[in-house]
Amino acid sequence: MGRIRSSCVSAKNTLNQLHANDALLRVNRGQMYESMSTKLMARFNARADSNHLNVKDLMAVTQDYDTTLTKFRDDYKSYEEQLYAALNIDCSKEPVSFYDAIAIARTQRAQVHADVIKLHQYIDEYQAAFDAFTADFNKSNGAAN
Amino acid sequence: MNEQSDVLAEDLSFWDKHRFLLLIALTVGIALVLVGISMTLYASSGTAQLDLSRPGYRSVSSQAVNTDSDFENYASSGQINKAALTEFNALYQKQAVKAKAVDAFSGDPLDPDVLEISAPTSTN
Repeated sequence: MGRIRSSCVSAKNTLNQLHANDALLRVNRGQMYESMSTKLMARFNARADSNHLNVKDLMAVTQDYDTTLTKFRDDYKSYEEQLYAALNIDCSKEPVSFYDAIAIARTQRAQVHADVIKLHQYIDEYQAAFDAFTADFNKSNGAAN
Repeated sequence: MNEQSDVLAEDLSFWDKHRFLLLIALTVGIALVLVGISMTLYASSGTAQLDLSRPGYRSVSSQAVNTDSDFENYASSGQINKAALTEFNALYQKQAVKAKAVDAFSGDPLDPDVLEISAPTSTN
């Protein structure tokens, strides 16, 4: 507990900086992940569907991606609230509460990172589904000619 | 004339006499309720986490990407042919590289060792 008290000020400074940097990351990355879905995936699916082509696999990946994106938003919100709560604890008076709050925030941040990894996987999966769609399209188009 | 006015004034109830005060109080009350609802929505919807104008975020707010004009929309209508597929593939690959370029929220900056706070041995 003595170590927490003695490192209190420097730890809080680090946490404040992390809080701000993570918020910036959330805004910039969140925007990018959102655009992948709304500006590319959903639009291509709609266009292919309106051409009566089989978009089942593309739709499935998009749905998983959107579900993970919602989870990313929710998990980040929980993490930010927890980190904010930790920052509001007077660590010189309540070192144990401060330590526990940081421990919870640490777990929640790891969850946000897990969501990011999943989003990256779904971006790759959509590419794979699109490649399969293209191959299928070329095959049926070639067969028609 | 004055006597008539006095009689009329005596006939008015308390709320009739203080209609303007009542109006002000009602207006302030409605405004407070609406602000309360707005703040609840602001906090619960996750908008607060995206608001970099909040105190504490000033140092990074200038680094936020305000426009994504670089991110081109794919046309959601039209024919699907080889050219359309090639166009989408190029767009998607370009943005996928950007999206995956940053391993966001990696590392462990909240590790007690990084923060130089050791685990308390006792909670007493």
